[in-house]
Amino acid sequence: MNDWPLRFEAELVRLGVQPQRARQLSVETAAQAGEHAADPDGFFGPAHLYARHLVAELRAPLPDTRCPTGRVMLRLTGVGKRFRRRTVLTGVDLTVRGGEVAAIVGANGCGKSTLLRICAGLTTPTSGTVHRTRRVGFVPQDGGTAGWLTADEHFTLFGVAAGMTPRKARSTGTHLASLLAWRPGRTQPVQELSGGTRQKLNLILGELHGPDLLLLDEPYQGFDQGAYLDFWRQVRSWRDAGRAVVVVTHLLHELQHVDHVLDLGAAA
Amino acid sequence: MTAFVVAGLSAREVSRRRAALLLMITLPLWFYLARRDLTGQSTRMLTLGMAWAVSTVTLFVVNAARGVDPRLRLTGASVPGIFGGRLLAMSGFGLLLTAIYLTLVTLDQDFLRPWAVGVMMLVTALVAAPFGSLIGALLPRELEGALALFSVCAVQMLADPAGTVAKFLPFWSSREIGSYAVDGGGADVLWRGLAHAALVWLLCTGLTLAVFARRLRVARYPEPES
Repeated sequence: MNDWPLRFEAELVRLGVQPQRARQLSVETAAQAGEHAADPDGFFGPAHLYARHLVAELRAPLPDTRCPTGRVMLRLTGVGKRFRRRTVLTGVDLTVRGGEVAAIVGANGCGKSTLLRICAGLTTPTSGTVHRTRRVGFVPQDGGTAGWLTADEHFTLFGVAAGMTPRKARSTGTHLASLLAWRPGRTQPVQELSGGTRQKLNLILGELHGPDLLLLDEPYQGFDQGAYLDFWRQVRSWRDAGRAVVVVTHLLHELQHVDHVLDLGAAA
Repeated sequence: MTAFVVAGLSAREVSRRRAALLLMITLPLWFYLARRDLTGQSTRMLTLGMAWAVSTVTLFVVNAARGVDPRLRLTGASVPGIFGGRLLAMSGFGLLLTAIYLTLVTLDQDFLRPWAVGVMMLVTALVAAPFGSLIGALLPRELEGALALFSVCAVQMLADPAGTVAKFLPFWSSREIGSYAVDGGGADVLWRGLAHAALVWLLCTGLTLAVFARRLRVARYPEPES
């Protein structure tokens, strides 16, 4: 027998929903799938992910229901970086807790992407210290995907690297894609996708393994207006689910949505 | 698990580059047909063509994954898992080429020791995979890598097999095993070839792992205290 409703209910309770309310939501959700003569697993995706999504949606319109900020996920103290004689970063300090969004802004060439790579651990800082939670998702500005593989194959590859089973990785990836209003084609290689759709895949791959800290380097490049709004809604839902998000951006009008702004200033 | 998934997906990736794959599979055939009248020479040329094909396809695969590998590492994949998977897939490609061309030459030529011809082809293909990986690890662009492979294979074809230079090249083993298979050399020639192949395989695999371990290292930061 399908235990999707039970897993869904258990995850809702784990996320802080009252048990009685969780039961009611579980029954309603299963009935909704039944109305469409569909299996809840196929209709809503993995139970744990749909529970997270639902909780975030339920909490989104109520500003005062936002999770209180949690433990520190990232702390940079006096971080600097030199490439030979060129100093790119000096004395950067930043602390981001769970349930917070930090934006890194600055002119082109000021070291935003370098700082994000330092946060990820892919570039070593020349000076300063970095403390970071272990589970991290990184979304580079471009690249980061294999042109001849399909989206499903990317989900499998990245999911298995994170210790998931291929099936779970694919269903999670498909579900995350639906949150960005995208239904990946089964046979279409990534190189045939539009730039914006490729970026959606890029974003999903960073989130696939449910990291505590998301590092995003201008991930909305090529997004249309709808996808752009979906993206910021996703950022808010991650924040409300207690995750920490660091996003490199040059769109200053979005800074109202963030808790910290780190301005790296002019080009180095 | 990661290595097997990487291997499977690398194989699919290569299979979708149909034009390049077709050219690479047929490349040894042209080498063979050029001297088909001479059994020993044509078979050795065919084997070196296979070496070139396998190492070039491996180079393409390694270079195509350059953007993906750091993210895979960050997600939790190990360097041996990533590298081992690709090596497995490309060795499989070498095995496929060996099966195709061994069938061809055994039907078309008379050999003193046909099984040893198979050993020569298989050993060469197995050495070519880590050699292509090493070139891919050292030279980040396909053009530079392909030219480097071309240079090595060309020198290997032209160098005197008895000379010192040939012995320092990666596919000298195919010449030695070929002498045993085609020209009736003694068992010592076969073992010398196998030992050379094993040494080159170990060197290329070890060096590639070392380059990747350095390039794909992820800093282990301490957990922050609240």
